[in-house]
Amino acid sequence: MDTLMESPKSEVQSPKSDVQSLGAPGTPVLRLEEVTRDFSDGRVVRRVLKETTLDILPGEMTVLAGPSGSGKTTLLTIMGLVLKPSAGRVFIGGEDVTGFSEDRLASLRQQRFGFVFQQAALIPALDVLDNVLVGTAIQGGRVLPRTREKALELLTGLGLKDYVSARPQQLSTGQQQRAGIARALVSDPILLLCDEPTSALDVESGRVVLDTLKRLSRDPRRGVVLVTHDPRVFPYADRLLKMEDGAIVYDTRTANQTSGPEDAKDTKQT
Amino acid sequence: MRRHSAVRMLLHDRSTTAGAVLGVVAIVFLVGQQLAVMFGLLTLMSALVDNSGADIWILSQNSNNTSTAGDLPSRYVDRLAGLADIEWAQPVIYSAAQLRLRSGKFQSVQIVGVTRPALSGGPWRMAQGGNDVLLEYDGVTVDKLDLVDLGNPQIGQVVEVNGKRIRIAGYTEGSRAFGPAVVFVNSTKAREITGIPADRCTNILVKLKPGVDVRRAQAEIGELLPKTTVLTASELAGNIRVYNLTNTGIGSSFGFSTLIGILVGVVIITLTMYTNVLNRQRDFAVLRALGARQRDVFAIILSQALTIGCIGLLIGFFLLAGFLFGVKGSRLPANLPLWLPPAHALFTFLLCFLGSALALRRALKIEPASAFR
Repeated sequence: MDTLMESPKSEVQSPKSDVQSLGAPGTPVLRLEEVTRDFSDGRVVRRVLKETTLDILPGEMTVLAGPSGSGKTTLLTIMGLVLKPSAGRVFIGGEDVTGFSEDRLASLRQQRFGFVFQQAALIPALDVLDNVLVGTAIQGGRVLPRTREKALELLTGLGLKDYVSARPQQLSTGQQQRAGIARALVSDPILLLCDEPTSALDVESGRVVLDTLKRLSRDPRRGVVLVTHDPRVFPYADRLLKMEDGAIVYDTRTANQTSGPEDAKDTKQT
Repeated sequence: MRRHSAVRMLLHDRSTTAGAVLGVVAIVFLVGQQLAVMFGLLTLMSALVDNSGADIWILSQNSNNTSTAGDLPSRYVDRLAGLADIEWAQPVIYSAAQLRLRSGKFQSVQIVGVTRPALSGGPWRMAQGGNDVLLEYDGVTVDKLDLVDLGNPQIGQVVEVNGKRIRIAGYTEGSRAFGPAVVFVNSTKAREITGIPADRCTNILVKLKPGVDVRRAQAEIGELLPKTTVLTASELAGNIRVYNLTNTGIGSSFGFSTLIGILVGVVIITLTMYTNVLNRQRDFAVLRALGARQRDVFAIILSQALTIGCIGLLIGFFLLAGFLFGVKGSRLPANLPLWLPPAHALFTFLLCFLGSALALRRALKIEPASAFR
């Protein structure tokens, strides 16, 4: 597991990105500015994300908590450039990417973002190694030998060395989630976005995954955002955001401005 | 990685992949088999013309194929002899007749009377005996494949055609035509059987000297014999095929069967590939979230269609080859022109892509955000 932290950046093959300034120390890896998101069923327009301004800084683990339907996943998918906001602007490494085409956003996701999905979402048709590598060459071309080495190194570090050729269904849910983390890390992302990564895990597997994510967040070039309603996650947060009804109602960084100290205390203890 | 993932997905969903492959096999085999039989029949339709050795055929006025031709004065042959470009000209007699079986029943046959000693337009492949048996007064040849219809006559056996006695003197092998069994006979006996007088014939075959321009010779003969129809062998062969295709219902029958084969195949491919995408929606959403563009999803689906097409083609052509081997030498004519397999393969790939269109449409609609639901 330590291998993950010891692996020097220079050894990691990292494709060129559209946004060159990504990951510069000190600047937010991601900034949302007055972002909203509406959904319409054809008759009624419903605002699921109210106007939100938010910076994600490198080197810290941001936990986004809140009840179901509070807008956590919507906010996460906007951060991940998977969903476009209805209004507002999204900055990656200081560059406004709001108007980027779908293809450019896809390339950014491939090169600079890592996703850890609920229940891992590994592709059952591929073995574990291919699952880790699938995103790196999904836009065509071949997987570089260096990328393959990196994937094997990650899987070894995550305790999956013996499962490289196994199918996802042969792995426990905890192992699957660790393979999902390897997939998210193989392109050396500047932003790691995790959607309920521990929801399907037992206590021990959840702890292993959270420890891993916590260590990864210590990288001064990388930000980690984790969406959860699992209270086991809260102690790992460097920054805790609480969402309710489409808005961030509590932020440990600005706790005094957005909410009362009692709320903060409640959330921490939840 | 795209192609690798596409193939892995196919291998993982074996049952749906097998269904799609079955669809391709249905297209390749059913359509290929229908086309092979149709081309076999087309070849049979014009076999007498194609194997006559003549470059030009002369028919009665206002007729454009042997089925609708009347008769001609035989003396036209002498007039043709005056043309420098002609190597030979021979009258032939085509006529329907009734052969009496041993059982007393009658069987329709087609009499082809050829002129001695050249016997031009006669049988082109013999199984037993030479075609010189037609030089004999009452000697005829019939094809081995028609023997059952003709009551299995033996060599030397005397049978009755239109009330006239003929003797089976040889068997041909594949010297057949479309329709009733062909009985090759010399023109003298043919006139006796059919009642066509000595100064008349139904067609005149013309062989041109080497290097002579067929079109020019055709025009010259047309000027010399204005009250006739002068056709090149290929024109007449084409006319016969079109006539038979449009007047016998064979064309529409084969067209319909081929269409059904195509429809069945495309429906199977469409449904199975669509089901495959429906079952893999989450996977496609994850791939989109990980950075796959719509064109990458497009490439994956097309790779799958191509893979299914290749496997289906291999199996389908293997079965088709088995069919062709099985019917070789049988009464069922089957002929696959050399250009047909590659054209059929290309057409099958097009149908695979067409069949994958619905799956593609569904896959392209999958939002990357759905990976988070």
